Amino acid sequence: MSTLRPTATRRRLPSLEDALRGAAIVVISAIIFFPVYWMIVSSIRPSAESLSFPPPLLPGSIDLQSYVQLFVEKPIARWLLLSTLVASLTVIGTLILVIPAAYALSRLYWPGRSAFGLLLLFTQMMPAAVVVAPVLALYRGLGWTDNLWALALLHTAFVVPLCAWVLKASFDAVPKEIVEAALIDGCDRWKVLWLVVLPLTKPGLVAVSVIAFFASWNEYLFASTLITRNDLYTASLGLATLMTQLDTPLFVLMAAGVTFSVLPVLFYMAIQRHLLRGLTAGAVKG
Amino acid sequence: MASALTQTTDRASRPKRARRNGVVGSRAFPYLLILPMLALEGALVIYPILRGALFSLDTPAGLGLDNYRYMLVDPDFWRMIQHTLVFTLSVVVAILAIGLSLALLMNWSFRGRGVVRSLLTVPWAIPEVPVAITFVLMLDPSFGVFNAFLRLVPGVTENPQWLLDPVLAMLVVIGATVWKGFPFYSLVLLSALQNVPDELYEAAKIDRAGRFAQFRYITLPGIRPTLALLAVLAFIYSTQQFTLIWLITGGGPVDATTTLAPAIYMQAFRFYNFSYAGAIAVVGFGISAIATLCFVVLQRRVEAQS
Repeated sequence: MSTLRPTATRRRLPSLEDALRGAAIVVISAIIFFPVYWMIVSSIRPSAESLSFPPPLLPGSIDLQSYVQLFVEKPIARWLLLSTLVASLTVIGTLILVIPAAYALSRLYWPGRSAFGLLLLFTQMMPAAVVVAPVLALYRGLGWTDNLWALALLHTAFVVPLCAWVLKASFDAVPKEIVEAALIDGCDRWKVLWLVVLPLTKPGLVAVSVIAFFASWNEYLFASTLITRNDLYTASLGLATLMTQLDTPLFVLMAAGVTFSVLPVLFYMAIQRHLLRGLTAGAVKG
Repeated sequence: MASALTQTTDRASRPKRARRNGVVGSRAFPYLLILPMLALEGALVIYPILRGALFSLDTPAGLGLDNYRYMLVDPDFWRMIQHTLVFTLSVVVAILAIGLSLALLMNWSFRGRGVVRSLLTVPWAIPEVPVAITFVLMLDPSFGVFNAFLRLVPGVTENPQWLLDPVLAMLVVIGATVWKGFPFYSLVLLSALQNVPDELYEAAKIDRAGRFAQFRYITLPGIRPTLALLAVLAFIYSTQQFTLIWLITGGGPVDATTTLAPAIYMQAFRFYNFSYAGAIAVVGFGISAIATLCFVVLQRRVEAQS
């Protein structure tokens, strides 16, 4: 954040207004954060405490039994592993497709570029529910149901439009003098991409990988329609199943939720700004 | 500012100056670069859309518009449209109102601002499945903590059955969707607020414009294009919503929270009526296509302003 305004133009003593504002921010943050707090607290205290009414706001005692039970009795480790596998395949597929395409969008001039951009936006905005039934029919025809590779391919198709915008914005920021100097030195455009542009856009590549990874990690609709064998369950699918099984103890369910959320929360915080830019297709600075 | 559909081309890449060294220098090169992505989008997004549209025309009586004729008189379909409108409009209004209020509050230098920004990211980053689990737990009629807060209101003596009452269930899915979605809108609006030129506020102070006048005549016009763009994004975000609704209420009670996405899913996978599901999906496609075009127009406006 470069500029702060309008009250911050001069350094001065905090006023009553500042104090009120601060208080409002604290209260609102607490309200916003409450469900997250509740999820964590419910996972680390004895079930009996969560199941009483009214439930105490602060945990009376800490009991990590839920996490032990989660990892011993439920195949969460396997689910997380399979989610990691599918998400990693999605990242690889995304990078392969998005690097050349973003380069063409950002650095090359060609008739049809705007139309391609429009097509990408179109696919980015399309609700997954619109295609889920025909995709299932297509996948059944190909024998691709219960296949994690095929699921990753589908996740790739749904995340590349967003990733193309993020990486394009990153390519746009490479000074064109550098590119022109490389061209004069005899590099062709393919070499310019690999030897000049990519090394300068590592943060963009990281952002794209994170977006692709967690788009796949979080995805539920396609996974639940295309994967039926429970030995192939990914974590979002496994978690949703735990939720509908009445015999899952509540605190185990909450522990599973926390375990599943840790990675995306940490990584999203790290790449927040890139995400903002990508989700508005570059129209808004993050 | 980086722009999505406008040009930021290097001069050297214009065809007349391109050097012809094999494939890389040829006119076909950009098309080769986008070909793999285009092929995948074609196969797994565009083709299924067309195939779904074809399903919708394939009726027991042969190819025809029977599904659409039925849709016009299907009370379930119109109730679904009504639920979708209520859900979508509430989410858009609430998300922008909360997003903007919070952005205005945060548009100010204070210690811990980075911390608040990071905290804000959390609801947005948590996957939908755990969000659904948490909301179901908080609203449980026998031990949900939300009821404990509600009981503090004088006159409330019973825990409401949140998920069994049509109106309350709708409020719950709206609330969960807004909670998960608003941080993005807040953060984008915050950056839009910070792009409003300082000089305008300085000038307003000299003219002795009050707080409200400053907001009305400087802040609001300054962020209006962004606000409009975000309204379209919020619209798309809420029409796409499936997982939260499905896992919290399953579209119920009865069909009280069945919006577009759950309705398509239900037709296809509960009633195995792929053909009618295809027809509803075509409606969804139409809505999303119109929203995308609005997005493009508004996006150009944001770029023109900055």
